[in-house]
Amino acid sequence: MTENNLLSVIIFAPLAGAVINWLIGGRLKNELFSAIVACGAIAVSTVVAFYLAFVAGGGALFIDKPILDHIWTWISVGGFRADFALGMDRLSAVYACFVTFVGFFIHVFATGYMKGDDGFYRFFAYLNLFMFAMLTLVLADNYLLMFVGWEGVGLCSYLLIGYYLKKNEAREAAKKAFVMNRIGDWGVLMAIFLTFTLTGSISFFDKTVAGEEVQSVFTWVLQNVTAAEPFTWGAIIAGGLTSIGVLFFIGATGKSAQIPLLTWLPDAMAGPTPVSALIHAATMVTAGVYLVVRSNVIYQLSPTAMWIIAIVGAATAIFAATIAIAQNDIKKVLAYSTVSQLGFMFLAAGVGAFIVAIFHVMTHAFFKALLFLGSGSVIHGMHHEQDMRKMGNLKKYMPITFITMATGWLAIAGIPIFSGFFSKDEILYKTFAADKYFQNGAFPGNEFLWIVAVITAVLTAIYMTRMMIMTFWGEERWSEPLAVEGSLTHDSATHDEHADGHHDAHGDDDEEHHALPPNFKPHESPWVMTVPLIVLAFLSTVGGLVGIPYAMSSLVGIKDANAFEHVLEPVVADVETPAAVKARENAKAHSPEAVSTERWLALLSTVMAVFGIAVGFLLFRNNPLRKMPKILEQKWRLDEFYNGYIVDPLTNLSRKQLWQGFDLGFIDGIVNGIGSFVMALGNIVRGVQVGYVRTYAAFVLLGALAVIGYFIYFGFKLL
Amino acid sequence: MDFLLNNLLTILILLPVIGAVLTIAHQAFWKQESHLKWLTLGWTTLTFLVSLLMFSSTAAGPSGYFFEQNVPWIKAINANYHVGVDGLSFWLIILTTFIMPIAVLSTWHAVEKRPTAFYVFLLLLESAMIGVFVSLDLLVFYLFFEASLVPMFFLIGIWGGANRIYAAVKFFIFTAFGSLLMLVAIISLYFLYADQTGLGGSFDLVAILNAMNTGNLVIAPQTGMLLFLAFALAFSIKVPLFPFHTWLPDAHTEAPTAGSVILAAVLLKMGTYGLMRFNFTLFPEQSRELAWLFITLAIIGIIYGALVAMVQPDVKRLVAYSSVAHMGFVILGMFSFTEIGMQGAVFQMLAHGISTGALFLLVGFIYERRHTREIKEFGGLANIMPIYATIFVITTMSSIGLPFLNGFVGEFMIMLGMWKSTILGITSGVNWNYIAVMLAGTGVIFAAVYLLWMVQRVFFGKVTKDENRTLSDLSYREIGLMAPLLVLMVYMGVYPTPFLKRMDDPIKAIHERVMQRGGGTVAKQDIEPAPQTDAVGMNR
Repeated sequence: MTENNLLSVIIFAPLAGAVINWLIGGRLKNELFSAIVACGAIAVSTVVAFYLAFVAGGGALFIDKPILDHIWTWISVGGFRADFALGMDRLSAVYACFVTFVGFFIHVFATGYMKGDDGFYRFFAYLNLFMFAMLTLVLADNYLLMFVGWEGVGLCSYLLIGYYLKKNEAREAAKKAFVMNRIGDWGVLMAIFLTFTLTGSISFFDKTVAGEEVQSVFTWVLQNVTAAEPFTWGAIIAGGLTSIGVLFFIGATGKSAQIPLLTWLPDAMAGPTPVSALIHAATMVTAGVYLVVRSNVIYQLSPTAMWIIAIVGAATAIFAATIAIAQNDIKKVLAYSTVSQLGFMFLAAGVGAFIVAIFHVMTHAFFKALLFLGSGSVIHGMHHEQDMRKMGNLKKYMPITFITMATGWLAIAGIPIFSGFFSKDEILYKTFAADKYFQNGAFPGNEFLWIVAVITAVLTAIYMTRMMIMTFWGEERWSEPLAVEGSLTHDSATHDEHADGHHDAHGDDDEEHHALPPNFKPHESPWVMTVPLIVLAFLSTVGGLVGIPYAMSSLVGIKDANAFEHVLEPVVADVETPAAVKARENAKAHSPEAVSTERWLALLSTVMAVFGIAVGFLLFRNNPLRKMPKILEQKWRLDEFYNGYIVDPLTNLSRKQLWQGFDLGFIDGIVNGIGSFVMALGNIVRGVQVGYVRTYAAFVLLGALAVIGYFIYFGFKLL
Repeated sequence: MDFLLNNLLTILILLPVIGAVLTIAHQAFWKQESHLKWLTLGWTTLTFLVSLLMFSSTAAGPSGYFFEQNVPWIKAINANYHVGVDGLSFWLIILTTFIMPIAVLSTWHAVEKRPTAFYVFLLLLESAMIGVFVSLDLLVFYLFFEASLVPMFFLIGIWGGANRIYAAVKFFIFTAFGSLLMLVAIISLYFLYADQTGLGGSFDLVAILNAMNTGNLVIAPQTGMLLFLAFALAFSIKVPLFPFHTWLPDAHTEAPTAGSVILAAVLLKMGTYGLMRFNFTLFPEQSRELAWLFITLAIIGIIYGALVAMVQPDVKRLVAYSSVAHMGFVILGMFSFTEIGMQGAVFQMLAHGISTGALFLLVGFIYERRHTREIKEFGGLANIMPIYATIFVITTMSSIGLPFLNGFVGEFMIMLGMWKSTILGITSGVNWNYIAVMLAGTGVIFAAVYLLWMVQRVFFGKVTKDENRTLSDLSYREIGLMAPLLVLMVYMGVYPTPFLKRMDDPIKAIHERVMQRGGGTVAKQDIEPAPQTDAVGMNR
């Protein structure tokens, strides 16, 4: 066990930044000051995180014991202990590095994007607070502190989605996000209770605090459970590891926007674009994946839970992809794309490819942050127009944005060499070959899941191509009026209302569309915005090279290129069930058949990606405004379903039956009835009724005394 | 100083009374109504400072209570003035004395009619509340319990809103009805003690408990059940436990701000405190036997309170219903009969006092400005009153139970305690303790729904009413009186240990008493939860 107090610097630097910006920045109202404080705080975190991950004591990424930092004991009562203590093992080191790194560049980008906004300091205070919560989440050394970060990111997400205070849809979206996350949090809480009841611990690592040995949850499981739980529905409610797994996954569906709790994420796009990039693409929404991978010991022993994760992941992936294909708001396309990609990650985790899931989290953080920031740059250049139907031919005006976004597009579509190719391809392969690598032997229905995933991959290429074409190619459409039915314009033509000079002049009128001036020309964004784009584009292009699978590197004679997998291998615990041992052996063996299957599949998925892009060009190149199926544009009417079948009935029940019926009608009816009866009685004895409450109080007192007197008198007699 | 420490609790009870007398005298001689609030503020602050002397406690008295005093009062009926404090009442007393200056400050410009009477009632109320928490004699307790009713009755009835008379009478009838039955139970206990011990009757809790321990006093199960119910009814109405809760929304809504704050912060706690102090210790078997009922009602209250809160058009009424839900959690934790759950319950009493008290203060601020509390009258206030909005959101988050704010610690401990509890038992493979937590846990979701929905409609979006455009943000006085509450919300959430440590011993004692007394019907494994891993086929 290594102690290193620097660990707390990673989380407290952003907290300090948030406080300084809130207290001092709010008075100074100096953008340069706020920007330097916010970016500086994250820079400190980034440097320390990389130092601890790569250098200190051999680097957390390369040593076997986690770096720990006990700060104080938060709750300790009746055998239960939750420390405010941090731990950096290989998994949290990977997370900490990409969160701080990507986070830093998004902060830089935001200083340009938010320029001139009234609440500049407030925005950066929230953003830093978010980083504090997110880093607490990934560096926490126990489930409860992780839950603190988990709720903290939810709060910051709430504050930042609702950042544009005057925007009605922003406030709806903020509340929806918080509540849907809360539904998931219920699962996390219950899972923590069950974990503690079962294992007597909530810690991630074995450690010694003040001379007291604390055994980790996972050590307990490895020592006490030697057989996987049965692969049955009954296991879910049996109160064992499967129950824990399912409950944690309920939490993950909330945080990572999976079916059924997915509708908040697209709505969350009402927040400023850097927020969408940071929180709703790169970091927070992948917390669910982190939770699952962190708990992999539990999942490896609960096949039912893993199967559910894989099914839900695949279903979400394809469901969101179909919606993404019909959206006209550039951010909505990316939002549904994020949901879909998160589905891929869960699919990977569900079939037991935990490391691949994290690999995809990382590459996705690069290319999706890039795409979101790129869309932010476009929106900035278009004076806050988000509707792609009003764009077109922007490559002429915004070349840097275009080229950088193009790398993101190729990465997410899965073109070889680009980062997304390696991670996505491995997910597809691991799903296809789940029978080989799944820790619980046979995986029913994996071929079907694979087909779903391949179709989703094609859809991904198509909708991304559509987005690129509508934005960067074709005619310049910003001066043309929209030729669509009125009902839809309102819904889809949302505006990122941020300060742009006439913000104040318009007062509260945020519904107004910022009509573009007649001689309007889009412009490229300033360097603070393009530099982060370039950095992220670079990473989106080459970032996948850290995890080239054996089957591909061996093509050119390199045996051991998958550095990412080697680093994270110890994170996936060696569960000693026969099936898990077999799966590990298969993974190590690189048998010729497996290698050749993987190569063929890689070729196939490359073909599919190219095919998808080609279809995209064929469909949309000459007809970018092609009408899409209405049901897709309306998101399968899922929101309407929730409102009609859950929200409205519940509200009605509460108002009509419970409040007006039971409280006011029944209980108060009885009480008032008694009251009337007494009043009627009172009329008979009117002589004593004088109408002053004081008199009544006096009567009550007298009555009480009479009762006492009675008992004392007769009581003594009884003696 | 020695005099002060030796008679600390008595002094604490008397200080506000002296303050009340001074207030009347001041008004009689100087007739300066504008001085009264300063006088009361000073006096309540003094009381608070004196109450802090309790921290200096070193040695417990003969019966295990600190600052204990036991002097004969009415010799004829063997009633003693017996007071003392332990870790259970300690924080509740501090909470009382702490919330009073804040309540006084909140009324700075609000009291227009008859200020003398108003401040006198506030001070008398404080005295009665402190008395409730320090009494160890059942008769003394009963008198203070009833005495607290009267000032609150007038506070609502005279300085309340439009419908104040109805609310005041309803409040009075509900609570007085319950406590009269309690009086009967107290008197019965007195005679049971007299009959069985032959020492004459006693109202002294410590004496009665000792007699029960030594076997000199044995209460027949049926008698015990009746007495338990009489006590429990009085306290349940006070809490209020579903379905006795309907007085609360009316009382809260009609009461002046200071009244609502005290009601939420302290008066409701008398119910839960009473259950723990008297029901659990005097009637351990009955407490266990009926735990299922209280847990069920608590869970109904949690969900019901939340659902009804969701559809309230009035902010204050919404907060009142949220109290029903939060107090449900307290009951749940207490009746889990685990140390974690019971400690969580007491912690939650404090946390609820702070955050709900703060919410009522905040509602009061806006009411003073706009003279309405209808949610639909507001919208977009965050643009006009940013400081107010910030403080409101933080307080809301505390009430919702966001980690690192006080609400979370209590609720978490309560649910964990209930989860580990064995009080509900397992039938045909279903662990009902788990089910209880799973249901109660939905209350955490609903809390986010109703509070955030309200916050969203009041603070975010466009400013919809022109009257709201000119509202002024919080004054320094208002910020100043919120500040200590905000600090406590964070402190209690981040570092709850000092609070928990102090209540450790008495709760352990009560817990042991409840679980072990009563003819050995409770086997040892009920106290130490049996490992449940065997049920899921794991090798151990």
